[in-house]
Amino acid sequence: MSYCTADSPAAPPGNRPKPEQTAEAACRLWYEEHGEALYRYLRFHLPTADSAEDLTAEVFLRAIQAFDRFNPSLGSSRAWLFRIAHNALRDYERQTRRRTLVSLADLRDLECNAASPEERLLLEEEIAGLLAAFGELSARDREIIGLSYASNLSLIEAGAVLGISATAARTRLWRALNRLRKVLSP
Amino acid sequence: MPEIKNGNQTPENLKKLERLLRLARFHPRASFQAELLGRVRRGEKPAGSRWPSFLYGRMAAVLAGFAAVLGLILLQPGRRITVDRCCFDLDGGGIADDGASISGIGQRGPFHISVYEDRDGSGDLTAADIVRFERTGSPELAQLASPGIARIQHCCQDFDGEGPADDGIFVLVTPPDRVHTAAIYQLR
Repeated sequence: MSYCTADSPAAPPGNRPKPEQTAEAACRLWYEEHGEALYRYLRFHLPTADSAEDLTAEVFLRAIQAFDRFNPSLGSSRAWLFRIAHNALRDYERQTRRRTLVSLADLRDLECNAASPEERLLLEEEIAGLLAAFGELSARDREIIGLSYASNLSLIEAGAVLGISATAARTRLWRALNRLRKVLSP
Repeated sequence: MPEIKNGNQTPENLKKLERLLRLARFHPRASFQAELLGRVRRGEKPAGSRWPSFLYGRMAAVLAGFAAVLGLILLQPGRRITVDRCCFDLDGGGIADDGASISGIGQRGPFHISVYEDRDGSGDLTAADIVRFERTGSPELAQLASPGIARIQHCCQDFDGEGPADDGIFVLVTPPDRVHTAAIYQLR
């Protein structure tokens, strides 16, 4: 699988916008720093690009609404935004209560540097299989894998979102990966 | 990758899977940021905040309360109810084309009875039907002196609107089309 490249490292955690900044400016700053990582995290759990965009927007709207409650001394804006995303995702799953289905037609937002359409198709098939297996996991397993790989959060950051230590996050991640491997190759 | 940032190596058996997970990278549309900023500029509120989830249960309880109050209002004494049942042979003509429309107030019992022939086949009392008998007031027995009077009873239906089918209708007729009296009774 050498036809596609991994993405660049995640942007460094940002700071809270200054009080005089408008909600739009705050949103712009946060989106530029964390928007793509949030989208990837949500997209890992959701069946379509449209639903991932909807929920990403919901996360930012919630963040803007709760702007006054954000305290940078308690943690980075990145961890705060991911906690909002984590809660928004749980709300979404509670409302829909349906199993995530993945089809090739839904992978139009997959990053890929494939040299040919055939290579792109092969990658899409492989990723679709991966996400289908991912959907078989428990919410707890999906959370830690999504935070660690889709969003590229460190184990410390992922642990902060989930309210556990980095060591516990690592243990949980490896167990989740083992279960995912078994689903992929029973 | 998390294990690199924290100085831990991923177990060998998971490395292939890890590599595949790294390839699953999604990217939002280029115009998505501009759309999002436009929504923020317009002061749009998040969907989740419009209706906090804990309010669903409370709202359900409030609606149930309203339904209970409404039910009590509808069933309280003094509310007029009309029950229309069709079709039986209530005039002795041999054809089950007659009905009875009974009106009552709450639990005081029926106070108005109409026995009719369902001429238009609508299944209830309409202007096109022939009312064979009409009575208002408390039950009474008609003079039963005339010969040829027949007694017809139908049981059991819900004639008083209380729900259970425990009521009957009793008519005295001179066949084929004369109804002398009618009464509604409840089985006890």
